[in-house]
Amino acid sequence: MATKEQLKDYAHKMMFDMKEEEYDTLEKEFEIFEKQMDFIGKVKGIEKIVPMTFPYINEDVKLRDDLVKNTITTKEALKNCKVVDRDQVRVPKVVE
Amino acid sequence: MNYQKMTIMDMSEKDPEKLFKEANTLAHQYQEEYNSFVTILDTFDMTDGKTKLRGIPYALKDNIATKGILTTASSNILKDYVPVFDATVYKKLKESGAVLVGKTVLDELAMGGTGTTGHTGIVKNPWDKTRQIGGSSAGSAAAVALGIVPFSIGSDTGDSIRKPAAYGGIVGFKPTYGLVSRYGLFPFASSLDHVGCFTRSVKDAAIVTDIIKGYDENDMTSLKDDGKCYESTIEQDIHGRKLFYIKEICDKNLYQGKSEILSVLDSFYDNLKKLEEIGFEIEPVSIDKDLLMALYPTYMAITCAEATSNDSNLTGISFGIRGEGKNIQEMIMDARTKGFSELIKRRFVLGSYILQRENQEKLFLNAQRIRHMIVDKINTLFQEFDGMIMPSFGSLPPKFEDSSDRLSEEYLLLENHLCIGNFGGFPSISIPSGFLNNLPLSINLTGRCKEDDLVLNMAYYMEKTFGYQGIVAGGEDHV
Repeated sequence: MATKEQLKDYAHKMMFDMKEEEYDTLEKEFEIFEKQMDFIGKVKGIEKIVPMTFPYINEDVKLRDDLVKNTITTKEALKNCKVVDRDQVRVPKVVE
Repeated sequence: MNYQKMTIMDMSEKDPEKLFKEANTLAHQYQEEYNSFVTILDTFDMTDGKTKLRGIPYALKDNIATKGILTTASSNILKDYVPVFDATVYKKLKESGAVLVGKTVLDELAMGGTGTTGHTGIVKNPWDKTRQIGGSSAGSAAAVALGIVPFSIGSDTGDSIRKPAAYGGIVGFKPTYGLVSRYGLFPFASSLDHVGCFTRSVKDAAIVTDIIKGYDENDMTSLKDDGKCYESTIEQDIHGRKLFYIKEICDKNLYQGKSEILSVLDSFYDNLKKLEEIGFEIEPVSIDKDLLMALYPTYMAITCAEATSNDSNLTGISFGIRGEGKNIQEMIMDARTKGFSELIKRRFVLGSYILQRENQEKLFLNAQRIRHMIVDKINTLFQEFDGMIMPSFGSLPPKFEDSSDRLSEEYLLLENHLCIGNFGGFPSISIPSGFLNNLPLSINLTGRCKEDDLVLNMAYYMEKTFGYQGIVAGGEDHV
């Protein structure tokens, strides 16, 4: 069973934090989720089944030719960035 | 004819600018009351397409990229994001001559089924404002149910088109996985995501799907174009078509004392009799209860894991809200902490846990194994049957005060079976089928992959038999 400390660790790995009471809710959800997944693991014959990653095999899939194509300009690519400097995304310079 | 009651065909000879004006006026008129839209467009902008959608107003879910038009996925982290490219579905609609009226509210990042978690507020059910319209394509459903537009576009990962359509008394169609390109759709769970439509008739769903389907080299799961015209085959004879329903979900003995569910099932069985009278053959079939009980946890495990990975690009660095901090890590942490709601964070933590190396076998791979078992079972049944028919839901849309977004130990099979359509990529449609306590009821039909034409064909006759085509919330349809 995941502890609150582990949940905090997972949240931090996901690069965000949560309020203390939100971790309490999460802890309860985890308890339910783990029970449900234990149940799934006991479904008869599951060990012989190949995991399914997509609904069906799409035989139309082919790799595209490796051609250089212009999609968007640098200006467009930076349009949604809040801090741009000389056509580049600007972030704090950190030397530690 | 009243604009709000018009189908796509009814609008085909009308002045596109006047139609847009009607839609725009209604969109503004209903916005405060129901909150269907994140953005309402006030300028008429039409490409002169030569299709049946020329001049037809429509709405697009706000997780579909529209170049130069705000696209937020109803999340604070993207609240000012303006795409620099068009999603393929939007491009196709633009080229067809359809006219965009607005971008609709969804559950944040499409991760939810209540219509209550969008960053601009809750979407209300047009049939009863105290109840949910469902989600995640909440605004797209409400806009069609209110008669603002005759069709809208949504996305469906577990039931996000078909459930809100059912709650809204309209048609919701999720085509075969890969039939409609996902390029430009903000991904939730890529192996389950579909693009589809809301309409007020099955024929309109065929017309829209004929336009938006087709191969797209930008989506590597895209199917080769089937070259079919779904509208033209919609009236083919259905005599002798065989359907099944799942006994373990629809058995009335399971719901003794639950009068609302029993009434929903009574209506379902009455409608099955009517369908048999017009030539369908319908049988109950049995599916291992353990497999059915595993549906929802399987859905949760796969979606949370895939979403965790898909949404890792939401850092606020090159787009989205920018966080504060001394270095990049602190900035990302701040942006994501402020940008996501509690529900999204809880789902991401679950996804992160599922994907930890030590948990993958028990959680992620087992969920994918269950998915395989369920899809194999349904495909085996589809060798004998042409489709699966089920109630779209078991209980009426929840009231806002009764709803919760937390995981529950309660197994609600009648509420959670629609994800079968996503597991197998099957075409699946919800059709209005009656009323209970002044709220619409709905029946769902799911068919074999790449047989969208047959699903629409069968659904067309079902709609005719049920007799609820074109109903609009409010006015004389409000029984």
